[in-house]
Amino acid sequence: MKLLKILVPSLLVAFLWSCNKEVEKSPALPALEPLRLDETAGSWTPVILSNNYSLQVPLAAPAATTSDAYKAELTTIKNAQAGLTKQQRDVIAYWSVGGVIRWNQIMRELVARYNLPPAPREDGTYVFPDAENPFADPAFPFANPPYAARAYAYVSIAQYDALKAAWYYKYLYNRAAPYTVDASVQALVPRTSLPAYPSEDAVLSGVTAEMLKILFPASVEQITKLAADQRNAALWSGKAAPSDISAGLALGKSVASVITATGSRFRTDGMGNAVGNAALWKELQDSVGFGDFYKSAQIPWLSLESPPRPPMLPNFGKVLTWNISPAQLVAERPAPPPSTSSDKMKQELAEVKKYADNATREELRITHKWADGAGTYAPPGHWNHIAEESIVNERYSEVRAARAYALLNMALHNAGVGCWETKYYYFNPRPSQLDPSIKTKTGLPNFPAYTSGHSTFSASASVVLGYLFPDRAQFFTNEAKEASMSRLYGAIHYRSDIEVGYSHGVLLAAYTVNFAQSDGAGN
Amino acid sequence: MKSFYTAACMLLFFYTHAQTIQDGLMMPKGDLCTGFLFTHDRWTNYWEGTLKRENGNIGTITTNSLTWLGNYGITDKINFVAMLPYVSTRASQGVLSGMQGLQDLTLAVKFNALEKSLGRGTFRGFVVGSYATPVSDYSFDFLPLSIGLGTQRVSGRVTLNYSWPNGWYVNGTTAYTWRSNVTLDRPSYYSDGQNFLTNEVWMPNVMDFSFMAGRIKNGLELILAYHQQNTLGGGDIRRQDMPFVSNRMNFSRVEATAMYYLPMIKNLAVRAQTGYTLAGRNVGQSFYVTAGVLYTFHFSKKL
Repeated sequence: MKLLKILVPSLLVAFLWSCNKEVEKSPALPALEPLRLDETAGSWTPVILSNNYSLQVPLAAPAATTSDAYKAELTTIKNAQAGLTKQQRDVIAYWSVGGVIRWNQIMRELVARYNLPPAPREDGTYVFPDAENPFADPAFPFANPPYAARAYAYVSIAQYDALKAAWYYKYLYNRAAPYTVDASVQALVPRTSLPAYPSEDAVLSGVTAEMLKILFPASVEQITKLAADQRNAALWSGKAAPSDISAGLALGKSVASVITATGSRFRTDGMGNAVGNAALWKELQDSVGFGDFYKSAQIPWLSLESPPRPPMLPNFGKVLTWNISPAQLVAERPAPPPSTSSDKMKQELAEVKKYADNATREELRITHKWADGAGTYAPPGHWNHIAEESIVNERYSEVRAARAYALLNMALHNAGVGCWETKYYYFNPRPSQLDPSIKTKTGLPNFPAYTSGHSTFSASASVVLGYLFPDRAQFFTNEAKEASMSRLYGAIHYRSDIEVGYSHGVLLAAYTVNFAQSDGAGN
Repeated sequence: MKSFYTAACMLLFFYTHAQTIQDGLMMPKGDLCTGFLFTHDRWTNYWEGTLKRENGNIGTITTNSLTWLGNYGITDKINFVAMLPYVSTRASQGVLSGMQGLQDLTLAVKFNALEKSLGRGTFRGFVVGSYATPVSDYSFDFLPLSIGLGTQRVSGRVTLNYSWPNGWYVNGTTAYTWRSNVTLDRPSYYSDGQNFLTNEVWMPNVMDFSFMAGRIKNGLELILAYHQQNTLGGGDIRRQDMPFVSNRMNFSRVEATAMYYLPMIKNLAVRAQTGYTLAGRNVGQSFYVTAGVLYTFHFSKKL
């Protein structure tokens, strides 16, 4: 009795003491101190821009650091630094990790926010999100894996091209950072000798916010605020003068406007037609996909959602790719899947059924680790997350970090397009359609089975990351293989889907590695 | 007097749904009340945040559970309580797989801190400390088909009870439950407007309260109860999203219980209970029925 009176309260106290429950949104990351400045990045091959930056995105020369105008700017910085609040110091610390890393994290949050399918209406139909009315229900966009892959790619490419242009001007004009010019300006972030005009932070804020506002218009408030924070952090930290920042913002915005101009690739790459229409959806059912394989003998894919939902982005396979021509993409299309009436398909179905009924806890863990379904940053976001650690550890400059994400996301976009081209060419049913007794351990995606998107995405990503970070190549391969198998464990894919998808992803990624090998950046 | 002790045993049934220890009765020293009960719970409508809806991709979610429970009188004033359910879920429509397994072990110590005559009846006060922890490595990241939330819990409860000599009683109880954070199998998740780049999920604490009125007469007891639970934080299920382990799960429920002390078999009692969710947030509008048998062993020589 006495023992209990002591034991129970002390256990309670111990429990409450031990659970410091605060959860950080992202792990603590070090302030960026780049190992190399990448002085020659102004000559690396642009992806979308022409390499004549002074013609396409001109930027006037800055005032001399000895000018009165510049001295007034230094005073502005010193005044700001004299009265920094805790909140302002937190903003500096947040952005000191690097703008490319932070914007990539923010983009992953935006994808997770909008990666939700429209809810059915009372009459059993679905309304598609409307870019002109993004705040409605359903919100725009539905940031599903193809939408996300394309968005990650465009934003990363825009950042990469904008930073190469920024580097070009930095070393053209060679104006030092305020903390270098004036010893009484504090450096509240690690010092570098990178020229400050135009500010790379302001360039990133401008180009990224403009791209994100088009891709995720309903989050305009958050995007705008974060972009302003990033520019403020550059000023408050002693890294950039107001004129470095205004020049950077202007440059970033003009790069975004070149990329998203009327008639640009961004506006005409086929994404606008990716949803298709009722006539196309029926045609795909009736003729078993775009291809002419099997035809009458094949069971076509059917939506297993209730009410049935139109297939996800059937024309996404026709969207333009990076580093690969449309003809090359078609030439790389995998051979047909086993016919739905074949013995091979029966064997594969039996294997799926085995996992559906007997998956181990470890297999379930792997299924959920890689689920990346509705409401998440999607498989491309998962691979951006995986890349983050290596980019941080290698202490890449901003422009090299942007290159890494651009290469990764071009490959992920290509994997998405290639996989979707294959899915709608063959229009193969999911295991649960052929055997309704197969219950799944993760959400069943609403599009054809062959080939597995996870496998294609993951294989492509692992090849590009293995090229960029050869010391970790084996790790990336292991992760990709695990991601691929997770779809069989989850009972939503056949073995053919994942094995062929994986090989397809490896093949497609080679085109992006090829580009990387000759872009002038070295490795 | 015996039926009174059996009543203490039977009130354990409340644990299964409220998962708390909220009755106003005690087992005497040396007695062990133990048994099993089966619960069938189902819902079709649920609240997606505050929006009530159905979902053709799950249809009706059915949860069946078989719970072992025991209540041992360490002294007349201190009881030790334990319970452990085996839970199985399934969806009537769609392709998602049901799950099953041993869920959470609850251990509790209940102390009768106050007992005095007041007016014509008796006023009692109780404090309960309980601890609950998952006993199997089930996945709680597959809601609404997961069998539990995977969190460790420490709960402090206060119960006040007033009973009249004619068998009527009223009972009020409230508890605060601290919940440990949980670790997902995935490295990132979106909750309450933010994307977290970690597998650790903050679990908001929970508060609940209940009022009940009942009468024990001629071996039959009838109880009516109102129960409310509020989660003190957490995000809503987003439009057309799946539920998440740390959602703000709130509900209010009415419960009715009938129990009967078998006249022909000493120490054995049967009980049936039903409950219906009136309102909620991020939970299903469940209807449940529970049935079970409990047996009391008198290890003491008191009776």
